[in-house]
Order: sequence, then structure tokens, then C-alpha cells
Amino acid sequence: MKKINITDICLLILSAALCLGVKLLFHACGMKEDGSWMNCHWAEQAVFAVSIGLTVTAGLRLLLNRQAKAGAALAMSVIAVMTALLPGVFVRLCMMDTMRCHAVMRPAVIILCALIAVTGIADAVTGRKEA
Amino acid sequence: MLAYRNCKGKPLRTAVLILLTALLSLTVCGGTLLVSGLQKGLGSLEARLGADIMVVPYEAKTKSNLESIVLQGNPGYFYMEKSRYEKIASLDGIGQISVQFYLASASAGCCSIPVQIIGFDPETDFTVLPWLRRSYSGSLQTGEIVVGNDLNAFPGDTLTFYGIPCTVAAKLDKTGTYYDSAVFTNIETIQSLIQSSLDRGMNDFAKTDPQKVVSTVLINVAEGYSIEEVMNDINIHVKKVKAVQTKEMISGISRSLKGTSDVIGVLIAAVWILGLVILLLAFTMSVNARKREFAVLRVIGASQGKLASIVMQEALLCGICGAVTGTAAGLLGMTAFRTAIGEVIGLPFLLPPAGQTAVLALLSVAAVMLAGAAAASVSAYRISRIDTALILRGDNG
Repeated sequence: MKKINITDICLLILSAALCLGVKLLFHACGMKEDGSWMNCHWAEQAVFAVSIGLTVTAGLRLLLNRQAKAGAALAMSVIAVMTALLPGVFVRLCMMDTMRCHAVMRPAVIILCALIAVTGIADAVTGRKEA
Repeated sequence: MLAYRNCKGKPLRTAVLILLTALLSLTVCGGTLLVSGLQKGLGSLEARLGADIMVVPYEAKTKSNLESIVLQGNPGYFYMEKSRYEKIASLDGIGQISVQFYLASASAGCCSIPVQIIGFDPETDFTVLPWLRRSYSGSLQTGEIVVGNDLNAFPGDTLTFYGIPCTVAAKLDKTGTYYDSAVFTNIETIQSLIQSSLDRGMNDFAKTDPQKVVSTVLINVAEGYSIEEVMNDINIHVKKVKAVQTKEMISGISRSLKGTSDVIGVLIAAVWILGLVILLLAFTMSVNARKREFAVLRVIGASQGKLASIVMQEALLCGICGAVTGTAAGLLGMTAFRTAIGEVIGLPFLLPPAGQTAVLALLSVAAVMLAGAAAASVSAYRISRIDTALILRGDNG
């Protein structure tokens, strides 16, 4: 087993938190009365899908050597930045800022993705120094 | 330096101390921002209500429709005959008087979004226009609307209400009140929207003629008259209406706000007392566990002051890291989730301006650092008084 450091654990926890949180805690607006979904639901689905990838990558990193870990962390950072842009920029949300997608989902996704990006960059920088 | 290396050498202990100080600063920063936001929101609501007296149809007051719209921002509408407005205007003590029309758009294909639509008379209005002027200096034409800050629409966009397209002329600044989720129009526009809602059978007031009704009459009392006097006069002489003093409407919110602020204050105090006690214990235990280490430092020439200084520097390092982290977390949480917080609390909520927030953040950091230093000073004093020989011999002195 390769040596596990604090950034490995942080990246795994943050990615898992994003993956589970976007479905269970800071999800988007619910189904409409006619059974259809609002636009923000698809933003939530997109974030969920990408966060699964981030979580799997964070888990696989534990098996890599230090240099490969740093590279994977950098890639995760870029993906996290793009994920933060999914709700509101790439996928339009509801019209009212008081609705759940704006008030809860978007800020939570942005914060978690920012933390993943910062942690990934920190890991990549320290990994490069160790190399 | 030695203090930094000591902190780095015991990462778990350092992490716990940083976490504790972060919790203290999060509590004070977040809690104070919350109370300030509620107070600012209440002040904003008072300013937005503007008028001394609101006159509404009697049913609207008894069925709490008015407060649901004005205080909670829930879309709604009610009407009374325009003749009542004319009768009110003829009474003594009326200074400024203006009418407003309410309509709620539907959550259906005819409308872009379900919102409160408020029509006002630009000739006589004195509540909406002063706020509107901050964002829009033009005159609102027929078919044009001004949207509240919470609506995701911008000048030039088109929103449809009851099949009638309306162009967004301006977007208001944030108020923390029902203005943020409302759409404002002139009288001609809202009358056509009301008519369209009636034609589509989507209006509860089926027999209404939009040209002959108003929703509410807003009054500022003339000089020399008291608000109660004018209010009672209206309630006695004009049938089927209810005149309410706007101050009374928000007195309930004021009481809720005071209660909420008191609870938050008590929680902050409780967290601080507990936090300080734990900090004191943590530093005391940490220093006690390192007595031999300090004794060795004394032996190799460190003065008593140097030992105390090492303990204080460690406390300050942990304090700075924790205070900055906790304050940043508090600021981030309050700023990012301010809309959700306002919705959950159910009271008007408006964060203070950036300058005031920055001052509050700095004060939070300073307070926590002082608290940490105070907690560590007890241990610093004790360790500077250790009996080196006693400790190195193995007695715990």
C-alpha cells in the first residue's frame, strides 16, 4: 500500500461529500406537479455524474505513486472547477434566486468544488517538490 | 522558530487547538452577522413599507392575506372598489395618498414564473418610486416591468404573464424584503394583466373590472394629525375596509427578531464559555505533559520568560490559524447561503455592507486571539515557575 497523506484523505472525503450531498442534502428543486422536472434537476444530475468520477479517481489515487498522485490531483482540480460551473453557467437554473437550486445547491457545489480544487493544487505542488 | 516546530511536531494537538479556536471565531462571526442581517432586514422592511397607514379590503386583513404578502413575500392578491379610495381621499388628515394593485402570476404555461406583481401609480406613489429611482431613472411605460433582485431576469429580457409579454426595464437592488421577489408595473400594465387573468379564468375574483378596483391604499398622514386619529376615522367612515398602521404590522416581526437575537446571544455566550474552559484545560494539559521538555530547556539556558514566551507563541500561532479559518468559514457560510438562511428563518434578512462585515471579521479574529492568549497565559505563568530539579528528578512538582 502506498503512503497515504492528509491530502489523499481530504480529496476522497470532499469528492464523496459532493457525490452524496448533491443527492441527499443540497439537491435541486423537486418534481413539478405534472411529473416533469425543472432545468435545475439536470444540473444536479450532471454534478452527481461528474462527482462519481471524482470520487473514484480520489480512491484510485491511493494506489498510485507520488508523482502519479500529483498528476491525478491536478486533473481533479480542473474537473472540480468545471463542475462548479455546471449549475448556473452551463446548465440554467430556476428563475427565482430564492428557489432551492440557487439558494442551497449552487453555493454548496461551488464551495465543495473550490475545496477540491485547492486541495488538488496543494497536493500537486507538494508532490512536485517531493519529486 | 521553536514554537512553530513544536506545533508542527504535534499535529494532532495543534489541529485540535486550531479547531477549537476556529469554532469560537465561527460562532462569534457567524452569530453576529446573523443578528446584524436580521436587524438590517427589519430596517429595510420598515423603509419599504413607507406609508403610515395601509388600507386593504376587510377580508384581506382578517384572512391574513396582507401579512402573507407583505411580510412573508407569498404571492397573493385582493381587490376593493375604487370608490372606497375616493372616499378615503376625501377624509381629513390625509397627507400623501396612493394606490397599489396586487396580482399573483401562476405556476403554469401562461406565465414565466409565479411571482407577486405590484402595480403602482407613478404620479402619486411615494413607497416604490424612491427605491426604484436607485436603479432606474426612466419612466415605466406600458408593457415594461421592474423586477426584484431575487428574480433571474435582467434589463432587456422578456417575461410573460397571463400570455402578455413584458419587457424588463430594470432590476432593483437587494432589499431583504418582499420587494426582492416581486415585479413592479404601472397601472395600465397591471390592469391589462388582471384582465388577461380574468379572461383565462385564472383569477379568484371572477366579476372584477380592473378599471374599477384597487388592492390597497397607502397613506402618509398630514401634519397636525396623528396616525391613530386618521386610522380610526377611516375604519369608522369607510365600510368594508381595514386601515392598519404599518408600524403595528412589523411589531410582531420586531418581537420575533428580539427573541431570535436573544437566543443567538445566549448560544454564542454558551459556546464561548465552554470553548474558553476547554482551551484553558487543553493548554494546561499540554504544558503539564511537556514539563520535562521545558525543564531541559531551562537547564540548557532558557530563561523563565523564554519558556512563557514559547507557550504564548504556540497559543498565538494556533489562535491565528483557528481564528482566520473560523472567521473565513463564517463569512463564507453566511454569504453563500444568505438566501437560504433568510428563507429558513422566515424574517427579512439583509447582510451588512462589505466594509461593516470586514470590520466584524477583524474583531472576531482579534477577540479569539485574545481569548486564546488569555487561556494560555495561565499555563505560561505556571511553566515559567517550574522547579527544574524537581521535575528532572522525576517528581511532578
